[in-house]
Amino acid sequence: MKLRAVSETLNACSGCEISILDTGERFYEILNNIEFLHFPLLMDHKSCIKTNGKKESELPEADLGILSGGIRNEEHLEIAKEVRKKCDIVIAFGTCATHGGIPALTNSYTNQEVLSRYYSTETTDNTSDYPDKDVPPLLERCYALDEHIKVDLYFPGCPPHPHHIYNAFISLATGKIPALPEKSVCDVCPVLKKGKIDSKNVKRFLAPPQYNYANEPLKDMRCLLEQGFVCMGPVTRAGCGGDNMIPRCISARVPCQGCYGPASFNGNQRLDLLNALASQGINTGSLPNTEFLLEFSGAHNLLRPRIKLVRK
Amino acid sequence: MPDKFEPKIIGFLCNWCAYAGGDVAGVIRAQYPPNMRPIRVMCSGMVHPDLVVEALKMGADGVIIMGCHIGQCHYQDGNSKAMARVEVVRVVLEDMGIEPERFAIVWVSSAEGKRFAKVITDFTDQIKTLGPNPLRKDFELNFKRV
Repeated sequence: MKLRAVSETLNACSGCEISILDTGERFYEILNNIEFLHFPLLMDHKSCIKTNGKKESELPEADLGILSGGIRNEEHLEIAKEVRKKCDIVIAFGTCATHGGIPALTNSYTNQEVLSRYYSTETTDNTSDYPDKDVPPLLERCYALDEHIKVDLYFPGCPPHPHHIYNAFISLATGKIPALPEKSVCDVCPVLKKGKIDSKNVKRFLAPPQYNYANEPLKDMRCLLEQGFVCMGPVTRAGCGGDNMIPRCISARVPCQGCYGPASFNGNQRLDLLNALASQGINTGSLPNTEFLLEFSGAHNLLRPRIKLVRK
Repeated sequence: MPDKFEPKIIGFLCNWCAYAGGDVAGVIRAQYPPNMRPIRVMCSGMVHPDLVVEALKMGADGVIIMGCHIGQCHYQDGNSKAMARVEVVRVVLEDMGIEPERFAIVWVSSAEGKRFAKVITDFTDQIKTLGPNPLRKDFELNFKRV
């Protein structure tokens, strides 16, 4: 029997769903094993939520609920709860769902600050008030899924790699728990590591890294972190490279951005990387700011609005 | 609602200096407030910033790390590592909406019983003036936002 699945997109860009399609010809094999009952992005099946007081469509009961995106407003929350009620297994699909993702950068600011920034800049007409009709009210901040509903499986990734999506869906359809990579990016990164950072300062990625010739294999290029660039490799979950496992950014000779979220599930990417740098004797004050280290994992209260400090 | 705010303070005490200093404080019967819950660690340098931030996130009103004086570390340079890590904690706390003053690192040797008592007293007073941690689970129940 086919596995029945529903999919909903919450506070996300829908890139995770595109990544499902990106499995290519193997998508047919997924369709042979999984039947999508509700998939607003691909099918003519509207969102399951009430608009103007009446429901456009009912969310069907299913085995698998695939939720991408975090929870930012009342609508997301209602959909997430509905999916949890109707599905046996809920999958947090993509880094937005597991750790807040890029939208969770908003957690550095209060809702008031965000709205006045958006609606009251010099170029906007009629700045009198924020819309409150037909727009779901914002929640206090951007949440990861598991802050509101119970999540059974976590698929981090921005987006999750099609190889892993295929493997995971097929193993779910055959009744197995999907095996996802659990190492850090550094564990699978092929570059040349000497175990020592050369300079006392870290620098932003404004100039290209050093390597000898254009097609030099990665294993001969010096580790980017050791060259002094901020690379999130040590604190980030591997998997962006798919089955052959060479991290995508590194394969373009660009430092890791941290898109798969923390390497250990409850880790704090910013704190762990700064700690690693500080223990190596690196001057962490040389970074212009550090919020960007939580670019992909700002939910779970890791990013909060700055307080006004009381100084005597 | 309790009449007086009694802060909960987590202390990470290094085995060789601060914890022994605490023992001396007991032997010489120095008086200090009971708010600090000590956790003995082998070296102040092994206290991961995660532990400090986690404690504050879970609602501790203050966290204090105590170790040997610089240059007297039992493991040569553990406390200078601790110093480097402390800077990281301060930066992160500010961005997490927690006052960095809730966290302190001090050096107490194994002979400084009196100083141990004074450090704990001063830090407890400092936390009392700061008030309860807004992330405390019972905050809404027992305290009023100023």
